[in-house]
Amino acid sequence: MASSSTNKFVLKSNDDVSFEVTEAVAREFQVIAHIIDDDCAKKAIPLSNVTGEILSKMIEYGKKHIEEAPVDEEDEEGKKKLQIWDEEFMKQFNMEIVFQLILASNYLNNKGLLDLTCCTVADHIKDMTPDEVRTLFNVKNDYTTEEEEEIRKENSWAFE
Amino acid sequence: MGSSFSSANGSAIGPSLGDIPESCVASVFLHLPPPEICNLARLNRAFRGAASSDSVWEKKLPRNYQDLLDLLPLERYQSLSKKDIFALLSRPIPFDDGNKEVWIDRLTGQVCMAISAKGMAITGIEDRRYWNWIATEESRFHVVAYLQQIWWFEIDGMIRFNLPPGIYCLSFRIHLGRFSKRLGRRVCHFEHTHGWELKPVRFSLSTSDGQETSCEYYLTAKEGEEMSGREFWRDYKVGEFVVSCSEPSTEVRWSMKQIDCTHSKGGICVDSVFIIPTDVKQNKKRKAAVK
Repeated sequence: MASSSTNKFVLKSNDDVSFEVTEAVAREFQVIAHIIDDDCAKKAIPLSNVTGEILSKMIEYGKKHIEEAPVDEEDEEGKKKLQIWDEEFMKQFNMEIVFQLILASNYLNNKGLLDLTCCTVADHIKDMTPDEVRTLFNVKNDYTTEEEEEIRKENSWAFE
Repeated sequence: MGSSFSSANGSAIGPSLGDIPESCVASVFLHLPPPEICNLARLNRAFRGAASSDSVWEKKLPRNYQDLLDLLPLERYQSLSKKDIFALLSRPIPFDDGNKEVWIDRLTGQVCMAISAKGMAITGIEDRRYWNWIATEESRFHVVAYLQQIWWFEIDGMIRFNLPPGIYCLSFRIHLGRFSKRLGRRVCHFEHTHGWELKPVRFSLSTSDGQETSCEYYLTAKEGEEMSGREFWRDYKVGEFVVSCSEPSTEVRWSMKQIDCTHSKGGICVDSVFIIPTDVKQNKKRKAAVK
């Protein structure tokens, strides 16, 4: 854990849950890093788009990636260990939470978590037909008939 | 996983797939193969936008895709998006007088190659008593070399190309006997087919960085197979080679020989040599097994 000399910041969710984190963890999120750099982080940093439930998970992820960061590019064992932890971490969530994590990591700009959550979605919808995906996730079709034909044509090469 | 979706009871509990922005859809696409991306473009506008984004397709293209583009006239690819470049390169691009083709695998974006018998050195090819060229739709090059009979059987080939790092498998595509269409039906003729059961044919390959491998096959129907087992094109795997670094370009040489002059042999068609990344080959096999 961080020593007492380390700077601490308070992150506040949109449902008023506060989390005290070290500067290193706070900086895992690009947007917060900018706020700190701009010296606007005197008090609690309010995060209007993130709930406490999601924020706590993101902090858990951020902490782990600070504490267990691979020593360098060559540290294959360290990378592997973190990758296994990532997989276990994602297993606890249903898809609704995964989508919330995507939106939040996109908003707070954490590339690693965004990539991890997007990978989970990809694994989930892999091998499904567009209609299955549409029904399962209630994705609205916003195309006209002409556009649908256009899309069919522009992608037909992939199925030759 | 995923027991409660916002769509499950019609009330919006939280965000769903349709709510994530285009840039995040693009991140999802980074983890999906090209045909699935093209399929999912049908979902909605955000998906279509992401499915056309250069940032996605840049990652799907092989590192050296410019080398493949260089085989084409500039105006064919000048103003294309990365996705259209992928589509363009996924169709075979002929080079060296049309005797060689290169393309990228649609599923993995890896580089594949085929070399026609026309692009290889065949001993005695100019003598019509030995070899003939047969025009056929069964070859991607529309022509195959047919051997009537010969004592010194030797085919050599070579290619130098910037292959992306990976493991590649080289194989010969061969057909015993010859074939024709009669009244719409495919008929095989084996009147010249002889000699292959006496001695095996030696296949070998070598690379400019010192890799070498060889093997021997009897070009006869495999044990337990009926004569009908002969009526197909067969891939004879010569071996694998590793490309560890794309520069300088890899030179690969291969040959197929039966030069034991105590007996003559004949009656086979030689179509081409394939150079295919091993995992592309495995995908194909898996697909065939599903069918």
